[in-house]
Amino acid sequence: MAQYMTTHGMAAKGVAFSAPEERSIQLRNVTKRFGGVTALNGINIDFAPQKINVLLGLSGSGKSTLLRQINGLHKPTSGEVITLGTDVHTAGAGRLRKLRRNVGMIFQHFHLVESMSVLENVCTGKLGSLGGPRLGLFSYPRAVKEQAMEQLARVGLADKAFQRADALSGGQMQRVAIARALIQEPRVLLADEPVAALDPVSSATVMTLIGNIAKEDNLTVVCSLHQVELALEFSDRIIGLRGGELVMDRESHSLSLKEAHEIYEAVAVVSETELAQETSELAAVHQS
Amino acid sequence: MTATMERPAQPPRTSVLPPVPKRPVPNPHVVAVWGIMIMLLGGGAWSLWELEVTPANVFGHFDNAARFIERAFPLNWPPLSELLAMTAETLGIVFLATGFSVFVSTPIAIMAAASTTSGRFSWTVSRLVIIFCRAVPDLVFAIILFRLFGLGALTGILAMGISSIGMIGKLYADAIEELDRGPSEAVEAAGGGRWQWILSTVIPQLIPQMIATGLHRYDINLRTSVILGYVGVPGIGYYLSGALETMQWQRGMALALWVLMLCIVVELISMGIRAAIMSPSSGDRSFLGLIKAADRSGWATHEPVRTRSGAVRVSPPWTGARWMRFGGIGILVVLLVASLIASNIRWEQIPRGVERFIPTISEFIPGTQGRFVDYWLPALIETVQMGLAATLLGLVLALPVGAMAARNVAPTPTVALCFRIFIVVNRAIPELILAIVLLVILGFGPVPGVLALAFGTTGLFSKLFADSIEETDVRVQNALRAGGATRIQVFFGSTLRQVAPAMVAHIMYQVDNNVRNSTLLGIVGAGGIGYWLMQTQAQLAYDVLSFLILSVLLIVIVLEAIAVYIRNVIR
Repeated sequence: MAQYMTTHGMAAKGVAFSAPEERSIQLRNVTKRFGGVTALNGINIDFAPQKINVLLGLSGSGKSTLLRQINGLHKPTSGEVITLGTDVHTAGAGRLRKLRRNVGMIFQHFHLVESMSVLENVCTGKLGSLGGPRLGLFSYPRAVKEQAMEQLARVGLADKAFQRADALSGGQMQRVAIARALIQEPRVLLADEPVAALDPVSSATVMTLIGNIAKEDNLTVVCSLHQVELALEFSDRIIGLRGGELVMDRESHSLSLKEAHEIYEAVAVVSETELAQETSELAAVHQS
Repeated sequence: MTATMERPAQPPRTSVLPPVPKRPVPNPHVVAVWGIMIMLLGGGAWSLWELEVTPANVFGHFDNAARFIERAFPLNWPPLSELLAMTAETLGIVFLATGFSVFVSTPIAIMAAASTTSGRFSWTVSRLVIIFCRAVPDLVFAIILFRLFGLGALTGILAMGISSIGMIGKLYADAIEELDRGPSEAVEAAGGGRWQWILSTVIPQLIPQMIATGLHRYDINLRTSVILGYVGVPGIGYYLSGALETMQWQRGMALALWVLMLCIVVELISMGIRAAIMSPSSGDRSFLGLIKAADRSGWATHEPVRTRSGAVRVSPPWTGARWMRFGGIGILVVLLVASLIASNIRWEQIPRGVERFIPTISEFIPGTQGRFVDYWLPALIETVQMGLAATLLGLVLALPVGAMAARNVAPTPTVALCFRIFIVVNRAIPELILAIVLLVILGFGPVPGVLALAFGTTGLFSKLFADSIEETDVRVQNALRAGGATRIQVFFGSTLRQVAPAMVAHIMYQVDNNVRNSTLLGIVGAGGIGYWLMQTQAQLAYDVLSFLILSVLLIVIVLEAIAVYIRNVIR
């Protein structure tokens, strides 16, 4: 695996994009409504470039919606989202696709095609920079397949490349999903509850992997979590969300466990409106 | 009623309790569904009466049956080479028709599925195409295409291929909508365009369903192809119709028996493949399992697999699964080539057909030749009557058969098993073959048609009935039994109630189906509008033909609309 690291292209690229503004994400007064439900309410954040930013909050607090603002999977109802210098709200389809090539994303439920091989799943991450539709592993150029093998080696799953994705454990699937994001050679990595479907041991493995890769590739990471302990351990910065509003934005090292827990405690009694918001937000996320 | 019992002495206006709830107004839609069902069943009874489907007519022809057996045996088999050639032709035509339909249905289904459609417009257009292909019977496509392309395989392939889009397109679209959207979102988030995520994430997930539905439709098309033989589509059906028209009963019955066996064998093969594809775990017990077990020995290291020269391997190794996949693709290619050879397509018919397209349209401007009231209307009514009568008769027969086939109602497990076997055999027999035999015994007319359709309907309803009885919530039955109810009381008091919604939906579906099929059976001599479709085609009276086609379409669409309405109400 060591020899993969040296041949890996990202190390060189990392230098080219080392200027912090190249990897910046800014949200200005972002509001997002689904029907009558306000999922995000006047959010202002500058995410720390090349750092691990963790979004903490209950389900339904707007974490998923916020992540999807960054790569334009959802567009804001009002306000401005500037990702890597692109205004997501006004960007056309072509511009948005160009932006998304530089923004990797991983998901709570991995989102792999279970009947396809691991290698082919990783290759689909490259579709954004390839022309034309592709069906089957042989439709990808050899260079892409080799890149996919490199990324699989980085996440420690090179030996599983030709197995079907559904033959893997949950933790392994998430690592494949990370490899799929990395093959894009992204500058930003979005992670939507990456460990919520995993057991504690796999969670730690996956979070460590994300942390190491972020350092190696100088990635700006925005990751939503709901475990306070994990967030404190792996993040550089913690952003608390509650009911679609920003309630905390702190450097992790200055934050105590007790303080971090307060993001949840203030809403220990979940009101009915918040529950309603949660369900309709989820529904909206699934619909889009 | 209960409310008044609870508070008998309360003065009406001064009560602090909430007002007495009004008796709920019956939902008008539910009332309408009841009305429709009563009308359908009443119509069925009236049709049975009108068409004279009486015990005397059915059982009074035993001397005919004896004579028939005398005439039909010994069976006169054609020479083996001839038999195999016509079988290959039929299987080839059906393969190409089904393949054509799978190929065309896939993009249509992508347009018609909410999760992959490109917009409101393409969604509407593709849904309309699917509905149109479903509503128009195969036979109608065959008759129209026959005018364009003439005798030959091409007419059959296109007729069944287009008609199958109605079912395949709809099932594919439904399957796409049920797929996991996650992988598509992931590719979208990585900058992939619409066709990129459709091809790389939707299609791979859809493939098992695509194959299973294709195989299912192959079974259906095989049966249809025999009927299309009557309008000139080559294959077994063509020889069968020829033999029956010239009263060569011994040859005809031999071919009918051959079709029956072919249908059963093809159905068994397709059921086996479908089971293996749709539930991978079930394959583990068969030879597929051995190959998979050999696979699992795998690699123990975390290093990438390398080729002999030491380079990292990027193409999959030849594991059992890959051999199977390639074997499957190879078999498909071989079947395609074999079908193209066996079906004897005359390619020069394509340009001729395209050339004729415009002039043909003008021939098909509908007209009645002033015989609507005397001829066409009674024939249309007769076709609908056959459908209604067959549904009612099938339903009545299915009640005892289905109940006896359900393990929790049948007196002993053996009885249940016997009835289950009867149902399976019943479902395997093509209605057409039954109709042909009955026509020979009972003579031409609607009675044999009704009986053949009723036989098939009995199979369907019995299976549905038995399955629902076995699956219903037994706690209710147990509660009734605990209260001292007899077996019959339990059946009517609880079982029938629980099964009712599914039954209502299926009755409507079956009326729809039987009216369609009675049109088809008309062309083999069971009366109704099918007979006139054949006659007007033979007389080149295309104006009347298209008028009759439109009438049939109208009836089918009305029935379909009622079926959709009922399904929505009882859902």
